[in-house]
Amino acid sequence: MLKIPAPAHSLRFDENNQEFSIIGALRPQHDDDMRNCIEMLRDAVSRVRGTLYINVKRLVRLNNIAFRALASSVVAAATERSDLKLVIVTSSVVGWATKKFRPLMQVNPRIVVEEYDADFYPGQAFVEDSDIIGLLRTQTNMTWRHEQGILPRHGLKPGMAVADICCGIGDFAVLLHKAFAPGRMVALDHSRPSLDYARGVAEEFGISGIEYVYGDASEMLLEDNQFDFVTCRHALQVFDRPELILKELFRICKPGGRVYVTNEKNSHCLGEPRGESIQWTYNEVAKILSYFNHDIEIGPKSRRLMMDAGFSNVRMESFMVTNMDGDPQDFADIITAWRDLFAGKMSQMRGDDEAFTARFRQGFDDHIFAALHPKGYAGWPIWVASGTKPL
Amino acid sequence: MDSSGGKLETSSFSLLFELDMPIEGFSSNWAHCDKISTYAARMIGHNRRDSLLYSNLFSSAFNELLETVFRSHHGGGNFVCRVLRDGDTDRIELTIPCDEGLGRFYTTSVASLSDVDREEKYRAALLSDAPLTPGIGLMELAVDYAAEFKISDFDGRAIRLTTDLILEESDVRC
Repeated sequence: MLKIPAPAHSLRFDENNQEFSIIGALRPQHDDDMRNCIEMLRDAVSRVRGTLYINVKRLVRLNNIAFRALASSVVAAATERSDLKLVIVTSSVVGWATKKFRPLMQVNPRIVVEEYDADFYPGQAFVEDSDIIGLLRTQTNMTWRHEQGILPRHGLKPGMAVADICCGIGDFAVLLHKAFAPGRMVALDHSRPSLDYARGVAEEFGISGIEYVYGDASEMLLEDNQFDFVTCRHALQVFDRPELILKELFRICKPGGRVYVTNEKNSHCLGEPRGESIQWTYNEVAKILSYFNHDIEIGPKSRRLMMDAGFSNVRMESFMVTNMDGDPQDFADIITAWRDLFAGKMSQMRGDDEAFTARFRQGFDDHIFAALHPKGYAGWPIWVASGTKPL
Repeated sequence: MDSSGGKLETSSFSLLFELDMPIEGFSSNWAHCDKISTYAARMIGHNRRDSLLYSNLFSSAFNELLETVFRSHHGGGNFVCRVLRDGDTDRIELTIPCDEGLGRFYTTSVASLSDVDREEKYRAALLSDAPLTPGIGLMELAVDYAAEFKISDFDGRAIRLTTDLILEESDVRC
């Protein structure tokens, strides 16, 4: 008979962060099968002071035998070490975990169960603002005119298994699905409102083949080596540690498959007439986003990031979305929304004074002026990078 | 025995997945429980609202049922496992080789799931030092997954345990 290996898991103790992590699947047949895990947990308990974090965010499968062994050790540690707080960190993405562990809080008040969730992206609140959804749709429509032709050059072919990570409101996934007919399409995002919107868009357009999945792009529960082509657009720039996302994109991509990312360098937005004012304002956009831990200048850095993440055959190109792509009013609408976000909500949150905000705002108005001027030109540059996961 | 009524008497379900194997084959390797539950969850989760979340939940629930069967069955005969769907409800039908004693175990276990203190009993069993009760998986499904159970066709050689799950609508995710 074929030998079937037991479900795999890994255990880690990070002394620096006082964090014991259990990753993978724990479905043992006997209590004894948990011995290694329990010994490591006990060892971790003996080496920490104050708080021990027990990270089960990526513990996808756990049976009652394993739960009982873990629970019993955690309760024993809380009983024996009255100086110690034990924080069990679960993830709502796993589904069952919080409900399973939460009753331990009633056994001992120094056992705390925390569900790790929406605090992940520092700028998520901006992106979920309902005012911005229309803008995001217009942006995707304008970038799609370029990317539809660019994607095949980076390896996308019909029938592939495709994942769109940080899919946002899902319109890119719908456009890709319609144009390239992937064999499988998963679209993942960390925003439930965005995913709800995405499902609505797919339903409205009669698209039934997209799996919308809630998840954290830096710690996805998607399995290794699943996708031929992985896209991640305009997301590395709104995350404070883009290398973590790239590591995950690499992991879920099949060997020989490709990962495709797009990013901006906002200070290179341009326009004429009134170029000087426009240039000043977009330099300030980079600064205000940096204040909120976003690197909106990441575009040209993509090649280095991809190579550092282990990709080979890295290809890179850029394109410019302009007021001459279709209706100039669409471009003006994007800039209007940027103005209201950057020189409005964000500027206010940073505590900018009135004089600064007026000048900041003026640059956007000048960009709109350039976009709508009969002889004007206004542009928004985007960098595309893709790389192969080595065989 | 229907522990809580609901859809269990209706027959508008479509078959998604069926496994029919000698019980000795199934019980020859503990890892079968994990492999079958994970494979089935992946297969039937793709068109749910959130395929990954659904698969995690279904795999967890299904695995507990399979582990229960692995531990509590009689030798001889086939183990038949059918997964069916009617809208939001997924149904798992297990035909389990049983003698009289095991039949009573399943019948009694399912009957006790209607008890008002079932959650207290489940938590106490889970955190006690005593050997894990063989019915713990059924208790978990009733408490944490709001599963509905029915036992039928007990003929002295096998029983059919039917479990209905509504994973996306219930309070499973807290």
